[in-house]
Amino acid sequence: MHSPRTAYWFLAPALILYLAFVAVPIAQVVGYSFFSWDSGQLDQFVGFANFARLGTDSVFWAALWHNAVWVVLTLAFPLLAGLLLSAILAERRPNTVRALAAIYFIPRTIPLVVAGIIWGWIYNPIFGLLNYGLDILGLGQFAHAWLAEESTALFSLNVVGAWTFFGFCVVIYLAAIQSIDPSLYEAADIDGAGWGAKFRDITVPLLRNSTLFLGLYAAIEAMRFFDLIWVTTQGGPGYATEVLTTHVYKTFFLVGDFGYAAVLSVVLLVIVLSLASLSFWLLRSR
Amino acid sequence: MKPTTRPIQTLVLAIFAIYSLAPVYLVVLASMRSEADLFAGPLTLPWPLNLENFRRVWSESGFSTYFWNSVVISVSVTIIVLLTAPLAGFAFAKIRFRGREVLFALFLAGLVVPAPSVIVALYGNLQALGMIDSRLGVILPQAALLTPFSVFMMRTVMQDVPDELIEASTMDGASLIRTFVGVVLPVVRPGLMSLMLIVFLFSWQEYLLPLVVLQTETLKPITVGAASLQGRYGVDYGGIAAAGLIAFAPLVLLFLLLQRSFVRGLSAGAVK
Amino acid sequence: MKRIAVVATIGLSATQVAAETVVTQWDQFSQAGITAAGPAMDELIQTCAPALGGAEILRTVAPSIGIRDSYRLAVAAGKTPDLAYTWPAASVLSGYARTGALAPLDEYYAEYGWEHVNDFYRGRNSYDGSLYGVPMEQDLMGVYYNEALFEEHGIAVPTTYDEFVAAANAFKEAGVVPIAFGNRDRWPATNTFSLILGLTAGKQVEEDVFFRDTPWTNEAFLQAATVFQDWAEDGWFPRGFNGVGYDEANALFLSGRAAMTITGTWVIQDMIRGSDNIALGVFMLPPIADGVAPGTMWGEGSQWQLSASADEATREAAAAYLDCLVSDESQRVWVQKGYTVPIGTTPEELAEWGAHPVVHSFFEQGLATPESNFYDLHTTLPESVTQVLYPELQRLAGGDTTPEEFLQAMQSAWEAAVANGDRWIP
Repeated sequence: MHSPRTAYWFLAPALILYLAFVAVPIAQVVGYSFFSWDSGQLDQFVGFANFARLGTDSVFWAALWHNAVWVVLTLAFPLLAGLLLSAILAERRPNTVRALAAIYFIPRTIPLVVAGIIWGWIYNPIFGLLNYGLDILGLGQFAHAWLAEESTALFSLNVVGAWTFFGFCVVIYLAAIQSIDPSLYEAADIDGAGWGAKFRDITVPLLRNSTLFLGLYAAIEAMRFFDLIWVTTQGGPGYATEVLTTHVYKTFFLVGDFGYAAVLSVVLLVIVLSLASLSFWLLRSR
Repeated sequence: MKPTTRPIQTLVLAIFAIYSLAPVYLVVLASMRSEADLFAGPLTLPWPLNLENFRRVWSESGFSTYFWNSVVISVSVTIIVLLTAPLAGFAFAKIRFRGREVLFALFLAGLVVPAPSVIVALYGNLQALGMIDSRLGVILPQAALLTPFSVFMMRTVMQDVPDELIEASTMDGASLIRTFVGVVLPVVRPGLMSLMLIVFLFSWQEYLLPLVVLQTETLKPITVGAASLQGRYGVDYGGIAAAGLIAFAPLVLLFLLLQRSFVRGLSAGAVK
Repeated sequence: MKRIAVVATIGLSATQVAAETVVTQWDQFSQAGITAAGPAMDELIQTCAPALGGAEILRTVAPSIGIRDSYRLAVAAGKTPDLAYTWPAASVLSGYARTGALAPLDEYYAEYGWEHVNDFYRGRNSYDGSLYGVPMEQDLMGVYYNEALFEEHGIAVPTTYDEFVAAANAFKEAGVVPIAFGNRDRWPATNTFSLILGLTAGKQVEEDVFFRDTPWTNEAFLQAATVFQDWAEDGWFPRGFNGVGYDEANALFLSGRAAMTITGTWVIQDMIRGSDNIALGVFMLPPIADGVAPGTMWGEGSQWQLSASADEATREAAAAYLDCLVSDESQRVWVQKGYTVPIGTTPEELAEWGAHPVVHSFFEQGLATPESNFYDLHTTLPESVTQVLYPELQRLAGGDTTPEEFLQAMQSAWEAAVANGDRWIP
């Protein structure tokens, strides 16, 4: 209905910005990964030699594993919590719903850097509130160096991640629940179904698409996150909270190994783009 | 419903409300206490409120500068996105042209690109452009990284604009750009509001880009400033808490005031 | 903040007036924390301004911990500051010097003498036969201890390692944290381990590994790694030390809840300032292995370096200014106003200039063993090795790896770095 040429003018500003600072750098990163580097200078074409290093880089595999664990933990806790909370909220008064949704959502507005600082303090082994509280309650034997022990560090950080994410899940699920036909619940009430049965047989199945969206969103975010780890553990103790993004950062900025940093970036991109294609396909073909 | 179910449910709601708010409350509390009595006394706010920590970080530790830098960067990013994304979203939603699917897919791919994965090349490019250690070197890449989400969201918003409205305007002889500005934008104002808030939120929260691009202390935004306090302030948790509060209070206030716009923006991708 | 902004505008106009030279200076001399010699720097900028011959200093103060990364980014961005006081010394010199980021300083050494910089320090600031840095402060490591706590528990200052072990165990028995150690920031353990390594392997074995072909997996290094792990496993460190910040560990010590803390002279000012409630003392950790000479970890911490991209006039002005900063008169200012002891300062001078007794004691003990003083790992190893050392030391202390595995990990990182040509040899 309109001149196609106008469309290009409309698109141009966003496209130029996007190409210049996102698309072209991506192409460059891919290119860089095939070269050797010397102190920040492009040296020579080496084919897949940089990629071959992935096989023996145990930190890379640990990081990848931690990203995967993060996805599972996110699906297991904030997503489930969001589902449960929104199902409960759906039966409450609108004012209650609005107030609680806002409260749950507040952590999401807090920058992850600041969230990391706040929780880093809560978790602090000596000066932290969590251990202080446990000591007061006489549960001192359960006190941990939460972020400083390999067995608890990743899990403790995920509690922080969940803190900033479950409110988002509540909001998304609420929007979907409110569009469920109330007559379905009424019919179930007549059949004498309890709350649990309705939750299981009506709410959960009908929220399948929201769950799919949130799950994929969580998976992609789990590959992308950096700030939270960088301000709390920097990947430590040892390599216990190392993820792909921190490995890229260290390889590039701290070690200065540009070629291998590019390889890690490419791997990261391939993973997120595959996840994105998968989600697109799943959400389209529902 | 079994008589016990409802109280249990209420308990669950309350527990999660505490999970959500307790850390925030602790920060507020710590920010008003001095180092010495951090763990002393009951967990209630002192009265009158003790703002000494705020005064200290604000005027002595450069937080007024960090805060101002965050404002400048976030507002600039927001303006750039508002000037570009609605136009693109409109083109994708309402104009048929060659390459539409391909270009849209290109933008879609950008939705998930992690900043750390492009930083390897971006850093060298910014250096070549002379943008390292300048605000522009943070603002432009950040706007670019937010473009895919914004274009996607604007396309969704623009699809809801009735075709008749646009046709009526162009039939009257108005150019498309005039129609866009005069007819379309007023209709999608709530959508623009949401976009504005989300982009502002995301750019205020950004940490990695300013961390690597800016070296001069007086250019750094509040996220970088707050993170650097950890090493500099040692055990001055009062100061750190005050700094953290300064860093997130504006966002929380903005959210509480404009909750509806925020939620609509953040769930834009989910509903469609 | 304001002052920097004003100077920045002067900087802009200076580029228009070619006659005026501006020297951009980065340093770490803040008013508190690590390397808190801010007041001395402020005064010396005034004192040394005439040496600049009309040029102007445009100063940026970067936090000590961060300056290392900021400087690397600035070099990578082609924005190397004309004059910088940064670390980590020898370990990155090969990278910066080889790629031509730094200006060789041999002619300035010839012109100004700078005799106080001895061969050890000259070596640490050389690459491929040329000098690239002017070291200033000297960093020593020792044991800060709480005299009152030692007295209260009837423990004497240890003079042998066995006595040290007995003291630490006694404190542990008594419910006092023996050593305030916090390693969340990842680097503190490298200092502690460097000290243990030097007192177990000795300087000679260290040089055999760093400069020659002895592998990390040697007997002496193994003993050092085992000792460090034992300290952690015997409960000498506070609960959750890998999650405790460096500053928090120092605060723990200064609050009287820990008997000792093992760290360097770089926090001596904060230690003295925070020691109102405790009686502060210093002793040197005794040799750990039999037959190893007493000594301590010795380094320059940071050094002044000049950018290769600065023009001739700027470099000349900066070198003259630098000569003033390291002069005999300035040494006194560093000591008195900065709690910083420049290279070449003698214990006698410290006494004469009225240095704090703790400063005097620390340097008198540390400088008594110049021949056997040894290396600081993360200012000596290439960055790629340091980035393996940090996490591996966390794991070693946390009991997540064995001393053998730790040394194997270090050896493979070391081999890769050597193959890359990143090794520094004086």
